[in-house]
Amino acid sequence: MTIDSFKYLSPTSTAIIRTLIAMGPGTEEPIPWTPLARPLSAATVTLVSTAALSTKTDMLFDTESERANPWWGDPSYRIIPRTATEGDIVASHLHIDNAYLLRDLDVALPLRRLDELVRAGFVGSIAPSHYSFQGYLLDPREFLSTSVPAMVEQMKREAVDAVVFVPV
Amino acid sequence: MIPELTSAMGAPRVAAIDFPFGRPLGQPGDASTQREVLRATLEALVNAAAPSTVTELPFAWPEPVGDVHWHPKEPSPIARLLAQKPALFKALIAGGIPVAASHRVAN
Repeated sequence: MTIDSFKYLSPTSTAIIRTLIAMGPGTEEPIPWTPLARPLSAATVTLVSTAALSTKTDMLFDTESERANPWWGDPSYRIIPRTATEGDIVASHLHIDNAYLLRDLDVALPLRRLDELVRAGFVGSIAPSHYSFQGYLLDPREFLSTSVPAMVEQMKREAVDAVVFVPV
Repeated sequence: MIPELTSAMGAPRVAAIDFPFGRPLGQPGDASTQREVLRATLEALVNAAAPSTVTELPFAWPEPVGDVHWHPKEPSPIARLLAQKPALFKALIAGGIPVAASHRVAN
């Protein structure tokens, strides 16, 4: 690995991330593998962002509880429609500067870029629903047992073939 | 945004990029780079042949590391807490996520 994301982090953050890496996923199960069912040019693709994005008409992520208990992160998720733009979005991540993605949503949730790749014939289609959750989850168990199955169900209803998971 | 972490958590296919936190696709307004990053990411999905494949994407960030701004305007709650109480940081890196991480309201 020549890419070094740690160069952007403080020594404290680096030590915490290295601790999490050493702890691993908390399961002995093998890493799942699902072959792509059809060529990308025929596949339906959806996006998942960790940037705690919600639409202005939806419920906000619970940042107040995280401020009161900094170990905790909101494990819920929100659906973002494929037509969403910066003007429709609230960003609630307390660990990054949200200003860039609020100026141009495609820096974190590339809906317009994906639509362009569909129109260019590189990707088959763009799913109606995209997703966001809040990536600071030191204990992800509630997220894994509630939000993930709900997102997967929605993806299955929309016949999604591939998910581009976009951390921030 | 930390490919070692994403891979360690069991992601089957990882596209790694040397971009700062908060802007994984590129700079605001740079549609060309954003599109090429997304295209390269999808190519990594197609080309990966086995679990734990990490593909390093060939994009360079246009600013020197020292000029990159990505932190929030105010420190995150956990950063503030650990700065105030270094003993909590030492306990955390000694291998323990506190039970408070599992409950919305800490006891």
